[in-house]
Amino acid sequence: MSKYLPKQSELVKEFEEKPGVLKGDYAKSEWWETPLEFREGNFCFPAKPEVLEELGFPNPRKWAPTDDDWKLPDGWQKTVMDGMKERLKKYRSLKLYLDSCMRCGACADKCHYFLGTGDPKNMPVLRAELVRSVYRNDFPLVEKILKGFSGSRKLTPEVLKEWHMYFYQCTECRRCSVFCPLGIDTAEITIMVREILQLVGLNNNWTLAPVANCNRTGNHLGIEPHTFVQNIESLVDDIEDLTGVTVNPTFNRKGAEILFITPSGDVFGDPGVYTMMGYLLLFHHIGLDYTISTYASEGGNFGLFTSNDMMKKLNAKMYHEARRLGVKWILGGECGHMWRVVHQYMNTMNGPADFLEEPVSPVTGTKFTNAKATKMVHIAEFTADLIHNQKLRLDPRRNDHLRTTFHDSCNVARGMGMFEEPRYVLNKVCNSFHEMAENTIREQTFCCGSGSGINAEEYMEMRMKGGFPRADAVRRVKEKHKVDSLVTICAIDRATLPPLMRYWTPGVSVYGLHELVGNALVMEGEKKRTEDLREEPMAGFEDGDDDEE
Amino acid sequence: MSTTLEKAIRERREEIVSLWRGKVFDRLSDKISPGTPIGDAFVEGMAMILDGFASGDGSLRREGVTTVARILAVHPFRPSHALSMFVDLKTVLLETVPGGEEGAECVRRIDETTLEAFDSFMEHRETIYRLKVEESQKRMHMQLRGKRS
Repeated sequence: MSKYLPKQSELVKEFEEKPGVLKGDYAKSEWWETPLEFREGNFCFPAKPEVLEELGFPNPRKWAPTDDDWKLPDGWQKTVMDGMKERLKKYRSLKLYLDSCMRCGACADKCHYFLGTGDPKNMPVLRAELVRSVYRNDFPLVEKILKGFSGSRKLTPEVLKEWHMYFYQCTECRRCSVFCPLGIDTAEITIMVREILQLVGLNNNWTLAPVANCNRTGNHLGIEPHTFVQNIESLVDDIEDLTGVTVNPTFNRKGAEILFITPSGDVFGDPGVYTMMGYLLLFHHIGLDYTISTYASEGGNFGLFTSNDMMKKLNAKMYHEARRLGVKWILGGECGHMWRVVHQYMNTMNGPADFLEEPVSPVTGTKFTNAKATKMVHIAEFTADLIHNQKLRLDPRRNDHLRTTFHDSCNVARGMGMFEEPRYVLNKVCNSFHEMAENTIREQTFCCGSGSGINAEEYMEMRMKGGFPRADAVRRVKEKHKVDSLVTICAIDRATLPPLMRYWTPGVSVYGLHELVGNALVMEGEKKRTEDLREEPMAGFEDGDDDEE
Repeated sequence: MSTTLEKAIRERREEIVSLWRGKVFDRLSDKISPGTPIGDAFVEGMAMILDGFASGDGSLRREGVTTVARILAVHPFRPSHALSMFVDLKTVLLETVPGGEEGAECVRRIDETTLEAFDSFMEHRETIYRLKVEESQKRMHMQLRGKRS
């Protein structure tokens, strides 16, 4: 027997003295007795009535979570219960996850929102219990009979308020599912509960306004095609100013080999635009025959955070545009949830895309067999293959002004198992890379705290709390290795991590992987480079220094 | 701070940290839990403050103050509630270190630290509001960017 086993007396002492999960005045209460408090900073604004009307979603009205009366529609209990019944029948995963949890608690301290807020209802097991307790009251036969003994409860407005609060404090990051011995995916429960909440008009404007925009114009910001083109052309001008090279992206060009789709954050968001400049330089460098669609002008898909039907509808434009333009396959930019939708759902939702070809790199001849079904390749894989086959002329010294670490985006890491490719690329384009702690990266990566459509300004305090575990891991690698640059391959991360870093870990800037690729690329016909894509001076490349190897 | 006081704090550091920690988490535990990353960072900050007191290292003490104020500011505490942890420190230190002139000096330094913590707490609250505003501004700037070409 191990000499490290704790003694029984020690365990008893720990049990008696260790603070319980329920704190303060509620230490002796049942978990469902802890009250809710909506206050400024802990909720996202609800969707505006006109947004709901545009989408044809139910119960458009003005309301706020701080109101006593949420103006639920007549018969809301039946709507919710029927919605749950329908989804339990339709999605066996939901039924499986609701039935099989044995409350072991392995997930409890894995959730960044629980770690950041200390709120027990943010433990994935308890968050799911908010729904299970209602499910048990009405659905499984045995537990219906054992009502009162099984921890079941009735659906009341207070329960609905609880769902609204806590299922918008889950970022669907799936870290809990990595540690669940049964593989319960709490994110799937969150997806379903949010979908059910939509049925009675409980929602979030930061998610639904982009959904309405995307539904109307093809991208989250509702940008019309000509403005979309203008913005990319302004990036082309910036590239020319910095490098002396004129890149020539094309738009809606029929007969191109590849359709390139990226989140609109790369076209309109700072610092995403620098990543877009990196893509444009890369494609020019290898002479790629590609085009960009002004209709499928959004890789992101907030339908994932709304309902499966909406996700399917918003995703459909990718294949529609690929067919209309007659391309061979699709190349996708750096994004998180876009890849969850593409990798896990697109083929069965909107496929098979048998009008496309199995993707083959036109530069290296590599066949991307992993994309055989979806016909869509991740840019990190594509670039890693180019580097591996020595098709890029790179000077990693051009990133010597940056000391980097890498944040694995939840959806790309846990959702599609991509860990090595971005690290391979990063190590080839810069000379200083340091990993964060092992339990905060790869499949155990911590969420940015603002994924799944809760990146609203008004939610800043909650985002700072939820993002703390990630920020703290960055702080530690910064202290140890003087890291000043956090590299990521997700557009939401590029939007959410800068404020998180500024608050918790000042002195760390956020970069897209292909921004660093763009810095390192030695372009044919370029002028002497002294600044990176952000117009920051490159160390050792100041005027007068020799930049040739 | 006098050498005697610093020595007394150094010698009884563990006991002081433990007592202070107990009082603070009793008060804040519904929001900040020990044994979590945020709780651990908070305790690290508390230890820095105490070590700053014990060593006379003002920059270490200020770093500790910033660490705890940054954590407290994201939680829905009133400033008075959040900063009551320094009243707890005063209670603990006065119970464990020599009295007389040493005690008076100790009180003066804790009061000074409390005021520093108030400034830091409010600065972090302001930072949160600034981040909110800047997110809106940045989005508007990027939407207008395309218009220049």
